[in-house]
Amino acid sequence: MKKDDRLKIQAFLDDELAPQESVKISDLIDSDLEARTVADELKSVQKLLKNGENELKLEDSRNFYWSQVHRQIEAGNSQLLRQSRPSSSSRMENPLRWILPIGSMAAIVVLMFNFNTVSPKPSNAVIPGDSTGNAASGLTESLGSAMEEEAPSRPEVGVFSFEGIWMNDRNLLESEDPSVLPESIENPER
Amino acid sequence: MPKLDIPNAADAELVTSAQKGNMEPYEELVHRHRDKIYARAFSMLRNEEEALDISQEAWVKGWQRLTQFQGNSTFTTWMTRICINLCLDLLRKKQRQKTDSIDQMDEEIGGFERKLPVEDVNPTENMELSELRQEIDKAMEKLSCEHRTVLVLHEFEQMEYREIAKSMQCSIGTVMSRLFYARRRLAKMLISLKKERQR
Repeated sequence: MKKDDRLKIQAFLDDELAPQESVKISDLIDSDLEARTVADELKSVQKLLKNGENELKLEDSRNFYWSQVHRQIEAGNSQLLRQSRPSSSSRMENPLRWILPIGSMAAIVVLMFNFNTVSPKPSNAVIPGDSTGNAASGLTESLGSAMEEEAPSRPEVGVFSFEGIWMNDRNLLESEDPSVLPESIENPER
Repeated sequence: MPKLDIPNAADAELVTSAQKGNMEPYEELVHRHRDKIYARAFSMLRNEEEALDISQEAWVKGWQRLTQFQGNSTFTTWMTRICINLCLDLLRKKQRQKTDSIDQMDEEIGGFERKLPVEDVNPTENMELSELRQEIDKAMEKLSCEHRTVLVLHEFEQMEYREIAKSMQCSIGTVMSRLFYARRRLAKMLISLKKERQR
């Protein structure tokens, strides 16, 4: 007998075969001895297993078993809670988390403000060619020479240094003296 | 609304109450059906510790998904399905870790069950029910996990071929083949056990 036929006999007994096929297999079981023997064997196993499952009982007490389940449920609940909302500790950490970037930003803003207001030259520096009041015409040349003169003691314009801040502070204090007013105040046109 | 009489309430009433978040009715459900869930896990895994762990995990999952239970089947059927799925996950995980069993190789070449002579004797005549169950249990233990699983799902859980194929992630043909092999093997083993008893 073909393996396919055996599987069909089984499917027939399990009521899993299409009606048309069922008729054919039923005839086969009636007419073929081997087919009938296979069917009988399968039926006897089916019958045995119908009530043949061993009944098992847990030895753990009700309270102990439940306590194990309950603990896992609680653990699962708290895990879900943690996933769904930020914990109290992380909420506490939030302001602290912002301190560093805000502080850094504030420091940068302060430094940039100071950087922009740093005087490119000392208050008492004299720009050659500026005496005419036409600063724009000889700016590059005059700046170059002024920088050359100041190079050993002063940072270059556009490069930040704490010395610049210090100089700026001094400038602000000194600006009260009209004779040492910053260039921009002396020459508003610039 | 009257207070629920938990020890005497029907499963459906306990489920409805538990679905509202009440733990006490759920505890009662666990108590009522824990043996059945454990037995199903053990019948598939054949390991007491694993069966105990899986049965508890099934109850945890049951609680977490309780709101999804619509009452289309009984609560125990629903819980048993959860347990079966967890067992199948574990068996698949274990299967990946080991090479194919000799049984499976025999099945794949389609040879072993053909070599078995067809028996027409009743291997369990004159046996008490408890004795019969023990014999069946012994024989089930000797089957490979694939054959045992398909037998448990079909014979004990009354699942159709299609459902079994879906749960076990295989074809219906494979289910039929495994079931046929498992039944025949079981019949032979029970006959052997009977012969041993008669000696």
